[in-house]
Amino acid sequence: MTAAGVHQSAPGAAPAQAASPGQAWLRLAWLYLVSRRVPGALALLAGFGLLLWAALFWHWNVAGGAAAAMVIPLIVEAGAAAVIAVTTYGPFGEPERATGRWLPYLRLGTAVALTAAAVGALAGGATGGTLPEGFLAMFRNVAGITAVGLLSAAVLGGMLAWAGPMAYLVITETMLAGGRTSPWVWPTKPPHDLGAALCASLVFAVGAVAVTLRGARDSARQ
Amino acid sequence: MTATAAPVRAAPRQVPRVAPRNMTRLVWMELRRNTMPVVLPLIAVLFWFDSYRIAATMPPLWVERLYYILGQGHALVDFAPFVAGVAAWMGSRDGRRGMTDLVTATVRPRWEAQLATCAATVVCAVGSYLVVMAVTLGLLGRSIAWGGPPWWSVGAGAVGVAAFTSAGFALGAYFPGRFIAPVAAFGALFAMGTSSQIGFSSSGGWALILPTMSNGNFDKDAGLFYPFLPDVQIARVMFAAGVAVAAAGLLGLPASAGGPRLRRSAAVVTAAGVAAAVTAVALASTAQVGPNGAVIPALHDAASDRPILYTPVCGQAGIPVCVHPAYRSYLPDAQTALRPVVQELTGLPGAPVRATQVAAVFQAGPPPLTGPPTAAQLQVETIGSPPVLHLTLNAIALPGSFGMNTSGFIGQIRLQFVHAFVGAGGGSGNPAQQIVQAALLQDAGIPLAAQPNVLGQSPWALPSRGRGGGVAASYPRPISVAASRFAALPAAARHAWLAAHLAALRSGRVTLAQLP
Repeated sequence: MTAAGVHQSAPGAAPAQAASPGQAWLRLAWLYLVSRRVPGALALLAGFGLLLWAALFWHWNVAGGAAAAMVIPLIVEAGAAAVIAVTTYGPFGEPERATGRWLPYLRLGTAVALTAAAVGALAGGATGGTLPEGFLAMFRNVAGITAVGLLSAAVLGGMLAWAGPMAYLVITETMLAGGRTSPWVWPTKPPHDLGAALCASLVFAVGAVAVTLRGARDSARQ
Repeated sequence: MTATAAPVRAAPRQVPRVAPRNMTRLVWMELRRNTMPVVLPLIAVLFWFDSYRIAATMPPLWVERLYYILGQGHALVDFAPFVAGVAAWMGSRDGRRGMTDLVTATVRPRWEAQLATCAATVVCAVGSYLVVMAVTLGLLGRSIAWGGPPWWSVGAGAVGVAAFTSAGFALGAYFPGRFIAPVAAFGALFAMGTSSQIGFSSSGGWALILPTMSNGNFDKDAGLFYPFLPDVQIARVMFAAGVAVAAAGLLGLPASAGGPRLRRSAAVVTAAGVAAAVTAVALASTAQVGPNGAVIPALHDAASDRPILYTPVCGQAGIPVCVHPAYRSYLPDAQTALRPVVQELTGLPGAPVRATQVAAVFQAGPPPLTGPPTAAQLQVETIGSPPVLHLTLNAIALPGSFGMNTSGFIGQIRLQFVHAFVGAGGGSGNPAQQIVQAALLQDAGIPLAAQPNVLGQSPWALPSRGRGGGVAASYPRPISVAASRFAALPAAARHAWLAAHLAALRSGRVTLAQLP
């Protein structure tokens, strides 16, 4: 006997409860967030906020010029971006992509919500003292570096998505140490620089579109 | 026929050695499946941008070109976060996939399997570091005419990469999850940033163990007049190897790693690694900065102190000027710098008849503005009979390094000559010496207003009279007025005054009232 001809539940089985569309969507969103370890990511973002608070409160600093003054806030911002980037990869791969009609919306919503959470956590951390360059620069940096992480997730895969923000951080520090600036390396520009803000916004838009449409690249090495 | 009737098969004469071959196969398998190669192109690009590009613009001396890459540890700064992150990812593989129980139940002990993965990851990371360094040394060395690279520093960097890889792997194995890779990577970057901070501000002691610490061990004329002292690098190799071994040993401590005997072995390995690392820190803290660099008495080999023989390269600037062959390209600058000063001082008693380069020596910490002079401050001098000017070209920044240009370099050499001539010694000199020095420098082409800046880049900076201390931005008014008056004298009158008062000036017995 095979299951091919079975069209009804076994006798005595409990009938499945029909959920309302709202409840079903919430459950789907929750399952998606859990599969991406978003609760863990939120805890880590809160940890980065605490780290920033401690660094500002106890005046941890690296002696030197602009590169040194920015190094701790930049490590915290890039670290938060890296955490968001690694939430993009899912464990289900092709089956999820083939069946998940809402997947693009969930990806976009998660990326934007986590970016907002990171900005919030770091804004809370900034209350520990005076944040170099202020809130606007932190907002721009977090959004822009997160986008670099989203792009590297699309190109390198979710497992190495953190490498993008890390590489961007190294490039930024090198340029700051050399006294060079570029709007594409926005942390080297002052907070009110329009070109830097536009570049960060553009990269964020491209990163969001890439992760919405394609998601993180799957790799056999994962 | 029953089994009891079957003939007994003779035992093989030698039991095949299965375990080592299996371990090799395991490592080979892990090498082929390793994630590290994916990230290597990114590391190579970053290394080019952050380290090689800057090193290639430095003066063509090994100690200068590798100062940023090896002296301040930027090669390790570029590699460490990435290899730690990828190693954490590799170490967390079984736990992340929920396969820990499955692999624990296999015939091989879990520690052995993890060591195979860890070894493959370390081989990938260290191998790529060595390849990158080989290419870097090959490219940077094309325009370097003299000496060789500091191999101990290269080795210390390689073992440092192994330590970060091994530590990242252990972190991943203990805390598996998708976030462990970025946490390990950013943790490694944070550690290197902190290490840089300590390295910049410390002058010796235990901080010498840090790979970003160049003070007292990777500077001056190391590798030119005297060898790169290996003492500190040996301690760093010991420290990094200890960390790597301890991290590998930690993998074998959990109950799932293997039997009691294996776990005891892991505990011994961990303890040995920790002991090596602690011993290395203790050794580094005994280091003393000598003229050729930091010396660790327990590790020091007297053969490292032997000077390197060379044939100087000479030219003319009114007097013969001789430099080390590695500085051949700077001989024209030295001649340009010395010529006007030689013209001013020719014929005066004590004027040098020859200028020759001597090794720049190390000193602990920055040159003091007050108090007794250090050996490095006293190095530039006119000594002997007939007098010879000793120049220390690498005690100052060479053109193309640290913001120095040719004009500034020439100014520094002129200052060395005049400072030695007026006998100001290790400090900035008494007021009369400062006035004569300022006037002679002005006549040699350095305006009075620019001189405090030139002095500020030398070991004889003018101390500020302000409350904050530090370096003065201008001469005190009495000094600048008197110097202008002295410089305005006709050359013959100035020459005559110097001939009459030089001995008293040098011994510090000339008062301001005696100046013309």
